[in-house]
Amino acid sequence: MAEQQEGALSVYRVLDLADIKGAYCGKLLADQGAEVLKIETPKGGCPTRNIPPFAGNKPHLERSLQFLYRNANKYGITLDIESPDGRGLFKRLVKTADILLETHPPGYMEGLGLHYEALKEINPKLVMASITDFGQAGPYRDWKGSSMVHCALSTTMISSGFADGAPINLPGMPSYDAASLIASISIMAAIYQRGTTGVGQYCDVSVHECSRLGLYPWMVPIYSYGLNPGSPPPPPEGRLGAAIYPVYPCKDGFVRIVAITPPQWKALVRVLGKPEVLCLPAWEQFMYRIANAADLYALMLEFTTKYTMAELFEAGDKEGVPIAPIYDLADFVNSPSTKARGFFVELDHPVVGKFDCPGPPYKWTETSCRTYRPAPCLGEHNERVYCHQLGLTKDDLAALRQAGVI
Amino acid sequence: MTSAPLEGIKVISFGTGAVIPEWGKALGELGADVIKIESRENPDFARTIGPDMNNIHGVNESNRSQRSFGVNLKKEKGKELVRKLIKTADIVGENFRGGAVRSLGVDYEDVRKIKPDIIYISSQGFGRGTPYTEYQAYGPMLAAASGVLSLWAHPDDPYPVGANVPLPDHMASKQAVFAVLAALDYRRRTGKGQFIDLCQVEVAASLIGEYYLDYSINHRLAMKVGNRNPYAAPCNAYRCKGQDQWCAISIITNDDWQRFCTAIGNPGWTMDPRFADTVSRLKNVDELDRLVETWTMEHGPMEVMNTLQAAGVAAGMLQRAADTINDPHVKWTQALIELDHPVAGRRLYTNVPYKLSNTTLPPSRPAPLLGQHTDEICRELLGMPAEEIRRLKEEGVLDAPST
Repeated sequence: MAEQQEGALSVYRVLDLADIKGAYCGKLLADQGAEVLKIETPKGGCPTRNIPPFAGNKPHLERSLQFLYRNANKYGITLDIESPDGRGLFKRLVKTADILLETHPPGYMEGLGLHYEALKEINPKLVMASITDFGQAGPYRDWKGSSMVHCALSTTMISSGFADGAPINLPGMPSYDAASLIASISIMAAIYQRGTTGVGQYCDVSVHECSRLGLYPWMVPIYSYGLNPGSPPPPPEGRLGAAIYPVYPCKDGFVRIVAITPPQWKALVRVLGKPEVLCLPAWEQFMYRIANAADLYALMLEFTTKYTMAELFEAGDKEGVPIAPIYDLADFVNSPSTKARGFFVELDHPVVGKFDCPGPPYKWTETSCRTYRPAPCLGEHNERVYCHQLGLTKDDLAALRQAGVI
Repeated sequence: MTSAPLEGIKVISFGTGAVIPEWGKALGELGADVIKIESRENPDFARTIGPDMNNIHGVNESNRSQRSFGVNLKKEKGKELVRKLIKTADIVGENFRGGAVRSLGVDYEDVRKIKPDIIYISSQGFGRGTPYTEYQAYGPMLAAASGVLSLWAHPDDPYPVGANVPLPDHMASKQAVFAVLAALDYRRRTGKGQFIDLCQVEVAASLIGEYYLDYSINHRLAMKVGNRNPYAAPCNAYRCKGQDQWCAISIITNDDWQRFCTAIGNPGWTMDPRFADTVSRLKNVDELDRLVETWTMEHGPMEVMNTLQAAGVAAGMLQRAADTINDPHVKWTQALIELDHPVAGRRLYTNVPYKLSNTTLPPSRPAPLLGQHTDEICRELLGMPAEEIRRLKEEGVLDAPST
């Protein structure tokens, strides 16, 4: 059935000029069926293609794992938008597009005459989104970022790691993925509104702001409530993961325990066989446990190590306290829930071959939502787009290639 | 400027904790009328972590721009009122424990009978159709069960501890917002609603897709990846002058490195051939990080950040909340807003994180007290006379703040 099914966004065409900052945004749209055209410079393609590690550990434009993951389901064409001919072709594509996504530094598109004010003259229905490190305006507008730099500024990193150790960055590219997610929200809001107004608009998305919203929006409110009569006392600032969501060894690995409310704590005590030392009423208070985390840790070890990860996971559910096994990547791939949902899908890439790729994190009943095509090879769909859609001849294509335009 | 995109859209939220409350906030910011269903008997669990359920920072951040309808779903009359409300709704969202909405009679299958084109999103830790579907699950559990936590540590840490951060909750809420907006757009074109089954552990795993590809293709099982970039250096968080002060620095290319050396005044060690190119810097990364830190330790984190950014090097201090509140870019872009909450008073919250060129979004509203809008919802949306509202409050069907 899925083969014929239409995606929720199948009617839309997206031009994707995004590097790693916005790569996940285009993928979100493509997973819903939108036709996402990744437009890359013919001079070596999207910079993401050069990010290690590589499939087979061989540095190669078609083998970057970052590129392969976040560009799955997209079509790929080459186009030098800095050349006059390239700009002309780009504008023809803009006429056919619903959405343009780009991640160039502020001012770059304007320098090429390809900013929103110019493009809306060609296509008033266009929704254009720019994802930049620090947004289109403000004192840091021209600053440089990285996923770690944004994690640092978002208040997330200072709270990450052991209290007395060095702070730790989050794995992956979560700041960029947060910006991509929020960009997809702003794009869909603009598309939905276009249904009423008939015209598109411009969305300005800053990774700096989105990383705070996507990773830890509560830090500022917690601080702001700090001296507020009647609110819970603010936890001391610092790296409290080990105190708030403690990790304990067990027979075959580690578990993380998320006991917050008094009933959850009591359930945990039951799971561990009601040891007397844990039955003191003071332990029922979350803030008391945080304040005495080291003592509690020493007490808990004796009991958690009697059980396996799976035993604690199941017993926690039965008694009413969230306990999670700490899975490594293989554990997650092989877990019954991952298998039951078919989260990983097999993709077949012309250079890399077959591999398992995460699919979308949700199932839809009416429309198709799936990852099914590998990321495009550089310029793979030039003929499809330029010849079949824009009506160029194969000779035109050869000439453009010769001139370095595509 | 035109009116808000979701004006006229009605959303019913069975939200608790972070994901669906925050989803409701984002839809409310876009102009939807979002009604949070809760009661004293069965409150949002996050309201129970402190002595005053209306004065909890996380609740009051994540539940803004929505209304609270205090109605007890454990009573038949309460269910009837909620069903009546759902008949007029466009979207329903829930993140109760798996199976809970079924026992309350408001699962998708129940709701579609009374509102066939409803868009309904369920967000649970492990999603539908798995052995863990009905497990109670919080974000920090899912960071653990998704493999994310196994990477989230320094290589020499005894085990990973992650952070105070309830990852992936705040990402899952955004996935849910994007999903219902796409579904809403589809419904406008086709008239069809649908059910979306969001799986939060998969949201977490989606953050580290490249590591899963590395596992599938290269058979490499990544563990505790830490701060360093295995392919470029220096990339790390460096200790700065002051108590527990740090600055993150990301140097990827040789150009970045040259700019960095110039910015810190070209001390002798930067000329050392051991640091001449990326391969050499990676080979001698322990010594390199130690030397970089000799420079950062002489300066406060803001000075390190400003000096390096002025030279075009990616750097960001590890901010705490107070640093963020005073940050000139945060102020200039109005990334934080102050709202006056009836119980909590004037507090700071996060602003809408995107700017639309041709839309005026409604002003952000503070989070509701439990049942703050019960009376107006009964009166205006359910057409109930004052006498009935009073009686149902007495019977424990309706909740409103005591005045």
